[in-house]
Amino acid sequence: MAGQVLVTGLGIVSGIGISVQDTLASLLAGKSGVGIIKYLQTNHKDIPCSEIQLSDEQMCRMLSIPDSVPINRTSLMGILAAKNALADANITPNRALRIGFISSTTVGGMEKSEQFYKDFLENDTRNEYIKIHDCGACTEIIADYFGGFSFVSTISTACSSSANAIALGSNLIKQGILDCVVAGGTECLTKFHLNGFKTLMILDRAHCRPFDATRAGLNLGEGAAYLVLESDENVQARNAKALCKVAGYGNACDCYHQTASSPDGKGATLAMQYALDMSGLKPSDIDYINAHGTGTTNNDESEGVAIMNVFGNSIPPVSSTKAYTGHTTSAAGSVEAVISILAMQEGFLPANLNFKNQMAKLSFTPVRELRRNLKITHVLSNSFGFGGNNTAIIFSKIQ
Amino acid sequence: MGVFIQGIGNISLQNTFEQIGFPEPVWYNESYVRCIDPDFKNFISPIEARRMSKVIKRAIATAKSSIAESGIEMPDAIISGTGLGSIDDTEKFLSAMIDNNEKFLQPTFFIQSTHNTISSQIAINLKCHGHNNTFVHGGISFECALTEAMLLFAGNRIETALVGGYDEMTPAYFKLLNKINTSGSLAGEGSVSVMLSSRKNEKTYAAIEAIEVLYQPENIETSIEAFLDRNGKKAADMDIVVLGINGDAQGDLIYKTIAANLFGQKAHAWYKHLSGEYFTSAGFGFWLAANCIKHRQVPPFVALNSNSAGKLQNLLLFNHYRNKNFSLILFSAC
Amino acid sequence: MEALILELKKEIIKVLNLEGVKPEDIDNDMPLFGEGLGLDSIDALELIVLLEKNYGIKLDDPGKGREIFGSINIFAKYISENQRK
Repeated sequence: MAGQVLVTGLGIVSGIGISVQDTLASLLAGKSGVGIIKYLQTNHKDIPCSEIQLSDEQMCRMLSIPDSVPINRTSLMGILAAKNALADANITPNRALRIGFISSTTVGGMEKSEQFYKDFLENDTRNEYIKIHDCGACTEIIADYFGGFSFVSTISTACSSSANAIALGSNLIKQGILDCVVAGGTECLTKFHLNGFKTLMILDRAHCRPFDATRAGLNLGEGAAYLVLESDENVQARNAKALCKVAGYGNACDCYHQTASSPDGKGATLAMQYALDMSGLKPSDIDYINAHGTGTTNNDESEGVAIMNVFGNSIPPVSSTKAYTGHTTSAAGSVEAVISILAMQEGFLPANLNFKNQMAKLSFTPVRELRRNLKITHVLSNSFGFGGNNTAIIFSKIQ
Repeated sequence: MGVFIQGIGNISLQNTFEQIGFPEPVWYNESYVRCIDPDFKNFISPIEARRMSKVIKRAIATAKSSIAESGIEMPDAIISGTGLGSIDDTEKFLSAMIDNNEKFLQPTFFIQSTHNTISSQIAINLKCHGHNNTFVHGGISFECALTEAMLLFAGNRIETALVGGYDEMTPAYFKLLNKINTSGSLAGEGSVSVMLSSRKNEKTYAAIEAIEVLYQPENIETSIEAFLDRNGKKAADMDIVVLGINGDAQGDLIYKTIAANLFGQKAHAWYKHLSGEYFTSAGFGFWLAANCIKHRQVPPFVALNSNSAGKLQNLLLFNHYRNKNFSLILFSAC
Repeated sequence: MEALILELKKEIIKVLNLEGVKPEDIDNDMPLFGEGLGLDSIDALELIVLLEKNYGIKLDDPGKGREIFGSINIFAKYISENQRK
């Protein structure tokens, strides 16, 4: 059985940048990607969202993908992010290396399917897009761009999907099934889920304000991010540089309601506790919590209560970065994993943007301003999905 | 280390729900057929059921049935596989969104359309706070769910798990499938829930020795031999191999090749002529495999040859999806 | 008002898929949420859509829903006072 699970590469694309460097620069500058919708063709362009500042055509050109190849935005974003992660880790997937690819998405190919649905039903002009609608097909488009993966899978647990991908990748390495896993997720903006969230009445018509007493909802975002996970044997064997380790993770179900989190934050509490148990750390060892913090009245209260349950009197600095990237839904777990690891590596705490008013129920105030030059050794990243799918991951510096 | 099958619920095109052993097969002439459903009122209250599409109702019914059969009060984990989730709700929301120009849309259809709603509604129904996950990798979604369960058992993180494969075939999706399918297979739908435990008892159907999911292996024959070898077995030790043959000539070639090359003298069986083909049809294959071992028989309507299945001690379930994703599940009698 | 009340009950039964419930089963003063008819927060969202689609009344604050949908009588009164279609 392998020992530790190390992170050797990061790749991310979102509304705040199409590289790790750009993302870092945006976080340090307090720059948000939330704004007017530019790329998605919808009647609701007035709803603030965070889009990747690239059209599909631009992404195809960057990746040398010909126009004739049927592909969707989710897969394009995924390829970009995975490419960056692999380059960062200096790994080329090949069969000699037992390497897996675990992606996550909920929309899959819906961005094209919603445009072509009438054609699907009424004529044969867009049949090639029927084949790439399902989530697994989108993952395989990304995997096949690189080749060399011997295990490929896709997870969908709403907003905790890509966190669960990281957890599964870690398990596969610990059990000695694989030496290396590229794990994360990708989700592009679609009319389907923009309208879906609109019907739930949890979208803020202004820039979201996580953990603020007057918060009015979330801003959606699109994003893709992957971590390259490796066994320590493999890292040593190829003399690679490890960024940090996956110290622990926990998955628990809130089982309260399909679209709401419990007032006592039970599922979230359990997920964080399981992550701490696995890591062998005490709550007081955690230097920073990157919260799920969507900005909805429900999540922030439930998550806040859960943080108080677990951390009691020693609550570390907490911030949500969803006001930067928007809520990238299935990709949120891995997008925020990358952000958490950057914060740890570079020794800073991202500000929780737009916070002004303390929530009466919570005993902590989120990080109001960027703080730099800190020693951060252990970070906890929370991802809590609809349906009560709660996952927490702890990343630690290698000591 | 084995993991034991303690209960199975199966709603399919056959009379499989809450039947002991093998029901008499139902043969269909139509190409579009739906499941034989139980009365869901026995499992779900009307106030809960009113929002649920068939795939969700079937998942809850088979989950409860398999749990009741196992005698285990609460699983430590609930892990589902589904290719499309509730395609019915997805279609309703999508069509309304297009027809009404993104106005007056109903939240229920959106909420029910997310793939993880199946696992999560099972958990809400059972009040299960355990590990909860959903795999959505096309034709091996069920096997991915089972793979994660086996990993958690191997790491001693769980002692019991509910693993399932759930998909539905709506009329609209059947229409789309016909546009992209090569030909030959019967389209199906189904719901299989399996209760697994790290301990066996008199209720045990069979043991799962190992599972492997492979992506584009260079040589599947070598991969199968390596898989068996890693688990202390050889091809010659298998008593029967259950194949995911579905009537599609291109896809079926590899099954026939492997069956002839590695298992020429062994019993061969198939199941997709009963279950139909759909993303999680391997769940039906799993049900068949477990029942063959439990009841010590291979029903004639699944046998592909006349070779004896001997002591039915070792069984290999072999499935693939589009010749890219392959799964191998090794069962043994206990 | 009686016609509106009957229409409202039929629409509610249809939109919320209350199989087996007939208009005469719903008492005009019976609480719709919690006890009584036992509706929940997802149903409240559905009723907000119904309010806009059928009666042209747009509700931006989901919190107001619980008051307005208190009972059939309260609901019908709100519609007759605010209807735009």
